Amino acid sequence: MKALIRSKAAIVALVIALALCISTNAQQATQPVAQQLRSYDISRESFLVGTVLKFDSASSTPPIGAHLILQTSVGQVDVHLGNGKVLKASHFELNPGDSVRIVGEPLTLGDTTYFAARIVQKGTQAVSVRNTRGFLTTPASLMTPAEKEALRGVR
Amino acid sequence: MKRLLTALVAAAALGISGCGGGGTNITPPPPSGNFGLASLNGTYAFTTSGEVCAGCTFAATPMARVGSFIADGMGHITGGIEDVNTGGAPSSPSSITGGSYTVNADGRGTLTLTFQNGNSINFGIVLTSTADGLMIDETRTGTQASTGSGNFILQQSTPFVLSELTGNYVFDFAGFDGAQPNPNPESFIGDFTADGTAGTIPAGLFDDNDGGQLINGGMNPGTISQDPSQPAAFTNFGRGTATVAGQNFVFYIVNSGRIRFLSTNNGMLSGDAVLQSTPPAGFIGDFAFLVGGSDSNSNGLTRVGRFTASGNTLGKMLVDVNDAANEVQLNNLSNGTISSYDSNTGRGQLSFQDSTGQVYTFVFYLSSPNSGVIQDVSPSNTAGFARVVADGSILGQSGSPFTSSNISGSYALNWSGIVTSNGNQDEEDLVSQVTATNLSLSGTSDIFQFTTTNLTPQFDIGTNGQISFNGGDGTGDDGKRVSMTVNLSNTSPINMVVYIVSPQLAFFQSANNNVPRIVAGILKGQR
Repeated sequence: MKALIRSKAAIVALVIALALCISTNAQQATQPVAQQLRSYDISRESFLVGTVLKFDSASSTPPIGAHLILQTSVGQVDVHLGNGKVLKASHFELNPGDSVRIVGEPLTLGDTTYFAARIVQKGTQAVSVRNTRGFLTTPASLMTPAEKEALRGVR
Repeated sequence: MKRLLTALVAAAALGISGCGGGGTNITPPPPSGNFGLASLNGTYAFTTSGEVCAGCTFAATPMARVGSFIADGMGHITGGIEDVNTGGAPSSPSSITGGSYTVNADGRGTLTLTFQNGNSINFGIVLTSTADGLMIDETRTGTQASTGSGNFILQQSTPFVLSELTGNYVFDFAGFDGAQPNPNPESFIGDFTADGTAGTIPAGLFDDNDGGQLINGGMNPGTISQDPSQPAAFTNFGRGTATVAGQNFVFYIVNSGRIRFLSTNNGMLSGDAVLQSTPPAGFIGDFAFLVGGSDSNSNGLTRVGRFTASGNTLGKMLVDVNDAANEVQLNNLSNGTISSYDSNTGRGQLSFQDSTGQVYTFVFYLSSPNSGVIQDVSPSNTAGFARVVADGSILGQSGSPFTSSNISGSYALNWSGIVTSNGNQDEEDLVSQVTATNLSLSGTSDIFQFTTTNLTPQFDIGTNGQISFNGGDGTGDDGKRVSMTVNLSNTSPINMVVYIVSPQLAFFQSANNNVPRIVAGILKGQR
């Protein structure tokens, strides 16, 4: 699978798949791709629906973090899910065959195009893995106010 | 010594996670040098930034420490005080009532600080002189583990006097904001005027990159004063409280030239303010820089590079980027411009672009003609927002050509960042002492990887390596890119790209590794 993601053909396919399978809006259609993919912008968000082919909580494929390969109606998409510990702390499991919905947007990193997830949803459970500015959610942000308060005094 | 022996056994038995396994067994060399217990003698201000796992119910939480300890020159810690901000939750200052330390001949050692309640925190240290050193947090108790990188600096003779804090200070405070539940990374740099006699900060200028959103301008008047609830802490340790641009901080005076800050509201920011000498009339010279932070790709971004500033233009630009473990060498940089520079404040802005047209922009504040702080404000496709949040240091390059003759002797080495191993992605901190002989490195390291299941630091790891003047441009000896390989015992080589600031200092970041690793650090000569 790693080879699939890294191969040039796969990248082209991925870009095509991203262009076809995500919901788009008028603003997206008017922006050059290079400009569009530079950084996260919530106004460009779209969503993917598909089936998990593979999940890796700490992938060796950049960008560093959790990745899943999603089978959509038009092809496979590499989805970056941020810090895998956020999913773990949320007791959110992903296994091959799971149906998921992902809110986010496509970004580029070097020669790689991937779908940067902000929210991943399986059934009725949804986890936010990025904030609205695109920065990754950390496990610490999942703590309740009481749990955060308990950190006072920790040395 | 007991720890050394125990660790030697452990190091021989265990490879380092996330280093790909393999490698050869490296026996730590016998410590050699002129350091000893007497080398750590006086009151030192320390700071670290990293993570803590308290109870380990959750994954690690960001943690920043700042404090002061007294070393008696004989292996004992006789007092001190510490402030902590854990995940945006500051704690009341806690008195350090005792502790101990060791210092080997090579400057490596341990530091244990014990609090009134009997709890202790532990650090691995490397002295770079009798006045300063590098450290990593190596605390591991039954209920808590914490890591992080930082340093300690000898403070002036007591008692501290507020009126000595007078003049313009350049600052760099980094961390995250107070947004809930998901904080944004934040870089807050600038300069302010301190009037210690009046206890005020009457004016200042700042650049804030808060989750990519850029705000800059003059800051509202603030304060800098003793903490009324801790008057003795000011007299003995230089600890006070301040309000800078509306945000509350605790501070520790190192001396009139440096103040260490930690925020106590609105998130977690920490860093130093350095007394500014008269800014130069123009921004001119050879400079190396290192920034670290985040972007949308992950919580790991580092950039290291160099350029030659000539008034309004930049030349000889080279940059290496490690963005979420995607490593890129930028060689064909163009349109190097210093778009603004104010010799009254030392603030300026520079930019250049890569071969794809991507523009890189930085704001900087000079604290002297050859040093300052720098913030990445590279534009995104959203007006008013940068595409990354990162900041760090900019230093004038000197002492070239760099050769095996002057890149020689004993060095302290520290890196910090993120590594992926054991199915986890988390922080890694390393502190070493190495000796460079004909550009070959030999020494000993401590490393703490928060990816391990038992969150246990590893001590006294045999270390060797090689510095090679074989960068992409082939001219590394004049201050451009060089490479460094670090071998930790029984692990695969860890590759770094290095920009030498001077024969006594270099910036580096990870590059060309099979294992995803986003770390950056410094190599600093020992005196």
